[in-house]
Amino acid sequence: MTLSLDLCLYLCAAVFSIGVYGVLSRQNIIVILMSLELMLNGVNLAIISFGRYFITPEGSALSGTGASSSQIFVIIVLAIAAAEAAVGLAILLAVYRRWRSARVSDMRLLKG
Amino acid sequence: MDALVFLISGVLMTASALLVVTRKNPVYSAILLVVFFLLTSLNFLVLRSPFLAVIQVLVYGGAIMVLFVFVLMLLNLTEEELDEKVEPGRKLLAGAGSVLLFVLLAWAINSSDRIQAAGETDLTGPVKESVARAGETREIGKALFSEHILPFEFTSILIFIAIIGAIYLTKTRRADHRRTAEPAVKQPEESA
Repeated sequence: MTLSLDLCLYLCAAVFSIGVYGVLSRQNIIVILMSLELMLNGVNLAIISFGRYFITPEGSALSGTGASSSQIFVIIVLAIAAAEAAVGLAILLAVYRRWRSARVSDMRLLKG
Repeated sequence: MDALVFLISGVLMTASALLVVTRKNPVYSAILLVVFFLLTSLNFLVLRSPFLAVIQVLVYGGAIMVLFVFVLMLLNLTEEELDEKVEPGRKLLAGAGSVLLFVLLAWAINSSDRIQAAGETDLTGPVKESVARAGETREIGKALFSEHILPFEFTSILIFIAIIGAIYLTKTRRADHRRTAEPAVKQPEESA
């Protein structure tokens, strides 16, 4: 039994699509942020599987850079995900304090 | 064996992800999200990235989840507020859209020659020594602080700005206290 690249990518696509469903169908902002994390995780897994496959002894076959490039990508995505979660939850707290609601459809001040 | 582990944890990942987005109570979503992160970390291990597996547990399973659970505790949403009142048409549309997205992605994966050529190589199989080093902490550290030093510095600036932004956004001003003292202030309607 071998684990091929397309199998990994199908899993990533499934996780990403589930995240998209969560963002589109939910009203609670916390769950929407969780769905965003799901999507980021799907992308991370895809990057790792690509890096694992497109690897040569000289480095990565994708960009001509070092063999660890995919790992660096994932580390940076992780850091940005952490920053995004912190700012998103801070906005949620500020909004909840102002309007006593965590539903996205109650936030229509910027709606045109 | 490795492929089997990947498949089982992949199925569990999909199941827990589905449960995360469908549970009504966000506390259940948060707990299932921890399960999802742990399974993802297991898959990172299978794909020979031990450093990232550890980082995944530390950053996602630890830091980000603490943030989520903490905000859940601070908000303390009531039963009534948790009722999202999503109309079924919207759910149906969202489901159809995401299934369409998955079909498109699967079609793209299926029709790519380079990805299909990877079907012959076993991702979990033994690799050459020079290749196996790529996932090692020493190699990642060397690459991070030499070749990729610029993105690394930009990320640190971004995190610094995010810290300032988060503190600024959650700071209570006196005006806010006065506003929240009134019962359930609704959004102004004159914008309509």
